[in-house]
Amino acid sequence: MKKLISVIVAAMMILTLTASAFAAPVIGINQYGEHGSLDNCREGFIQGLLDAGLVEGEDFEIKYENAGFDNAIASQIAQNFSANNVAIMCAIATPSATACFAAAEDKDIPVVFTAITDPVEAKLVDGNVTGTSDKLPVEAQLDLIRKLQPDADTIGIIYTTSEPNSVSAIAEYQEKGPEYGFAIEAVGVTAQSEVTQAADTLIGKGVDCFSNLTDNNVVGVLSSILEKTDEAGIPIYGSEVEQVKLGCIAAAGIDYIQLGRQTGMMAAKILTGEASAYDMPYETISEYGIYVNSEALASFGIELPADIAEKAIESSEG
Amino acid sequence: MSVFLDLLVSTLTQGLIYALLSYGIFITYKILDFPDLSVDGSFPLGAAVSAVLLVKGMNPYLTLVVAMLVGALAGLVTGVIHVRFKVRDLLAGIITMTALFSINLQIAGSNLAVDRSIDTIFTGKPVMALFGNLSLMHRKLVVALILAILFKIILDLFFKTKCGMLLRATGNNATVVTSLAVDQGRMKILGLVIANALVALCGAVVCHEQRSFSSTMGTGQMVFGLATVIIGTTLFRRMSFVKGTTCAVCGSIIYKICIQVAISLGLPANLLKLVTAVLFLVILILGNANRGKVKKHA
Repeated sequence: MKKLISVIVAAMMILTLTASAFAAPVIGINQYGEHGSLDNCREGFIQGLLDAGLVEGEDFEIKYENAGFDNAIASQIAQNFSANNVAIMCAIATPSATACFAAAEDKDIPVVFTAITDPVEAKLVDGNVTGTSDKLPVEAQLDLIRKLQPDADTIGIIYTTSEPNSVSAIAEYQEKGPEYGFAIEAVGVTAQSEVTQAADTLIGKGVDCFSNLTDNNVVGVLSSILEKTDEAGIPIYGSEVEQVKLGCIAAAGIDYIQLGRQTGMMAAKILTGEASAYDMPYETISEYGIYVNSEALASFGIELPADIAEKAIESSEG
Repeated sequence: MSVFLDLLVSTLTQGLIYALLSYGIFITYKILDFPDLSVDGSFPLGAAVSAVLLVKGMNPYLTLVVAMLVGALAGLVTGVIHVRFKVRDLLAGIITMTALFSINLQIAGSNLAVDRSIDTIFTGKPVMALFGNLSLMHRKLVVALILAILFKIILDLFFKTKCGMLLRATGNNATVVTSLAVDQGRMKILGLVIANALVALCGAVVCHEQRSFSSTMGTGQMVFGLATVIIGTTLFRRMSFVKGTTCAVCGSIIYKICIQVAISLGLPANLLKLVTAVLFLVILILGNANRGKVKKHA
């Protein structure tokens, strides 16, 4: 037992020695899990730092960890960053941000977050914290659906009841839907295994189209939903570019690389001392893109109105 | 060196907080031989109750008591389903866990964050009066240590009472319990009640520490608890004087150290869980190797 303890202690000490070998200020990235949109956030974040004129290795070093969608690990990663006195913690997705904010409190390390829908609700507004929100442009999406399918009556949406982002998006859909002449059929699930069943339910109800949120459970099995809906002849609208690449016909959505880049620029300002996270309000992405998959559009016989075709970005794969 | 100390403090804090959960799993798994899956639901249940009450302005220490009571209720449900309705142990736990997922969301509304202006058990008046001069990090360690030791002592004392003895006998030798004219079903329910109260308490403390409740925070807690109890009991197998609760604390701390070592190694982020698994294996093999040596000498 004594041997074991000494082995563990020795291992930890060696690790801490190697950890302090960083010369430049370290930015610790705490990403909640591996996932297309979150990865894009991270890539964009690093690009944003470079865009701001900083040089990796000289002005900053990146220490990247992902928590594998485990809250307890997210908090241990954050504590590791705090112990190593990183210059800035970058948190991608809400559980990571909460963990970083708690671990950074004592040493007052600035936390910069991204991919959080509602920073106010997550209590990430006051203090040494700032970042970007990825709130969906719901009205833009409704407008897009109305223009592409002038006769549609109902929109089907699948969402996870435990994802606050999805719940608040559904509320907005239900509030704004009628303004655009839509009824919303929302089906809640609690786990990924229930998503395809929910898709069958919606197809059975005869909805005119599906609209996707940035719901992790749903996006994870999007391909199998697309198989079902393509067969049933129901188009799906995505919420970001990756979903359109998979076969959604169109999306008014966020470009997560762009969101990450905006976040990286904010972090650069904090790193150079130009601004403090205390006084920087969180930002939402002001521009959303319209992404279309012309192959998928053609298979449903939908033609793009001229005004949309003008600004639409073709996003089919290959 | 300060990096090392800081890491040690935060890792010990995590280990001590999660030791409360390990105590619970120790009771169900080791004493009652009951694989209690309701843990994955009662852990966030404690957090949800505590978060809501904190936001409503209740005394932070009182929220822990309420969380324990609600957790006890969850254990009672699993126990009654299993004992009275003769549902298999695993399934009884799964039923409670599944139901709690919805109930937790009903209680908390959605994921819930606790603002920094609200006092938690780490910043409440009595703690500030006693340890106000310590930094928040060290205060967290002290509070976690007090909780872990307090509940260890309470449990150790309880196991020595007649009721505690009967509880231990229920898992080891059920006929003895029955021959003493005690209903062993009732003892099982009692064990589940205590265990889930502890698990919910742990969830509540984690909620205070993280200032947040999320509905998915319970996922994997049962597996974590099992691992800690098995690590702890394997290491001390030859030392029969070491109490089960001590095994649970040590197991929990070692588990958290393993994860922290894996993080500190700085390997590609996706390898984290693999590294953690390898570390567990090494520790268990080391523990077994020690055991072999003792045998040879004897």
